Amino acid sequence: MQLQELISPERIEFSMPVTSKKRLLEQLSTLMHADEPGLDEYAAFQSLLDRERLGSTGIGHGVALPHGRLKGLDKAIGAFATLEKEVDYDSIDHEPIKMVFALLVPEQATEDHLQLLARIANVLNDDATRAKILGANNKEEIYQYLTNREAG
Amino acid sequence: MKIIILGAGQVGISVAENLVNEASDITVIDTDALQLEEIRHRLDLRTVQGNGAYPEILKQAGADDADMILAVTNSDEVNIAACQVANTLFHTPTKIARIRASEYLDHPELFIHGAIPIDVIISPEQILTDYIQRLIEYPSALQVLDFAGGLVRLVAVKAYYGGPLVGHELKALREHLPNIDTRVAAIYRRDRPIVPTGDTVIEADDEVFFIAARKHIRAVMSELRKLDKPVKRVILAGGGNIGRRLAKTLEKQKYSVKLIDHNRKRAQQVAEELEKTIVLHGDAADEDLLTREGIDHTDIFCALTNDDEANILSALLAKKLGARKVLSLINRAIYVDLIQSGGDIDIAISPQQATIGSLLAHVRRGDVVAVHSLRRGAAEAIEAIAHGDENSSRVVGRMVQDVPLPEGTTIGAIVRKNNVIIAHRDTKIEADDHVILFLVDKRKIAEVERLFQVSYSFL
Repeated sequence: MQLQELISPERIEFSMPVTSKKRLLEQLSTLMHADEPGLDEYAAFQSLLDRERLGSTGIGHGVALPHGRLKGLDKAIGAFATLEKEVDYDSIDHEPIKMVFALLVPEQATEDHLQLLARIANVLNDDATRAKILGANNKEEIYQYLTNREAG
Repeated sequence: MKIIILGAGQVGISVAENLVNEASDITVIDTDALQLEEIRHRLDLRTVQGNGAYPEILKQAGADDADMILAVTNSDEVNIAACQVANTLFHTPTKIARIRASEYLDHPELFIHGAIPIDVIISPEQILTDYIQRLIEYPSALQVLDFAGGLVRLVAVKAYYGGPLVGHELKALREHLPNIDTRVAAIYRRDRPIVPTGDTVIEADDEVFFIAARKHIRAVMSELRKLDKPVKRVILAGGGNIGRRLAKTLEKQKYSVKLIDHNRKRAQQVAEELEKTIVLHGDAADEDLLTREGIDHTDIFCALTNDDEANILSALLAKKLGARKVLSLINRAIYVDLIQSGGDIDIAISPQQATIGSLLAHVRRGDVVAVHSLRRGAAEAIEAIAHGDENSSRVVGRMVQDVPLPEGTTIGAIVRKNNVIIAHRDTKIEADDHVILFLVDKRKIAEVERLFQVSYSFL
């Protein structure tokens, strides 16, 4: 699965105004629900929360990759946001985050999904990609940077 | 973590005090402006005045961003309503409430499937009752704490001359008790912690914390001191929430129980409620009454009123008149310290200390299922579940000796599918193990939490 299939401009938010980790996960669930009305917004939020409890998904460099399994989901779904203001995320490097890629996968998660997560981490671990995303002016540009890097 | 505490009573304040030190972002709601002002002066937190069940008040307190609401007002109904409001309007992830009335607690179906959306119900009175009951079960122990639903216990006991292990190295325990496995997690000698090794020699007066399967507790304890005779006769002073509950539990077992309360009306009520307990109306610090009721044949006297001074006095008197062991609830921390160092009262229990762990368990990062605060809050014992695999976890797949534990931290035992495994250097930790750890220095808790958190790659 390519990142293009995982994300769409509709599931990207530019400069999301949130003030806490809790609100952020809630908003990401709403964002996914808005584009995939079949997705249970509250269950998605709960799934992301439950996973965060076991350990923060803040991977450092101002990036978080919240994820979770969701009953009834038949394919992996992603959402992305840059944040209006940095949010404390209990990250591995203790730095607040500026961007977030959320991923929900079917309850029977497979090795493919794990690979997917690794690929997203790989893309966002790249200093140049992060700089471009933070310099973007709208979600279409963000979409380009997220997916181009993959294609190239 | 952003936490809203509802109710600036004893429970609310002691939680706030504990959490403020752990870099949590705390807002306290109460109707009493004076009370709030007093807390604000003392602790670094925000306060909001008003009814904590009202949406507007919760919003002011930051419910949009809060990770947890802790509803511990004196009113069950306010606590319930607040959790309902927080759940519906703010999707607050964790909702903890204090519920006291058995009228609610007797119907657990009220709280399942989110009917009343409370994730954790806490009952400080029940926790204290259980705590004291375990001490009555093991009269030679200073503290008895449960892990993994009681499969494993952490016991604090004072070593005395005459205990077969006293004067010997810890490793001799294996020869003394070849069929029993235990782990000494910490030793306090003249109030200073020692992290024990096999070569550590146990001295008389050492306070020894050991972890063992429940069925082995007595055997291990008997290595450290001559065991007290089992308790038979109990006198409880105070027929409040705790005294009443404790009497109810004890009278169903093999104990003969007397309960003294100075309030005639309450004594009458309690007498009607209890079956075998002898309820007496009177002053628990009345020498004649205690003598008449056979205090000199009493195995344990428990002072359980709300009044520290009354508890201390009646316990001291009971001891002087010949009660074998006396125990007192003491709310004020400074009194607990005084009494502990004095020595005439065998066991001083701080209700705050005994109950705070049940709340801390939900504040800890990682999958922590039980926390017990020890040594006046300086030390802590926790039960954490290890998740993930060799790649995503720093504990799973490793042997105990290879887990990078902070200084002063010991892994005491592991519970794997309901089997108790005492931790040795070469014990390998598996996914879903319940790991029981002892930290002589609570300030190391953040490091332990990190250790048990899975990395981002855990799906």
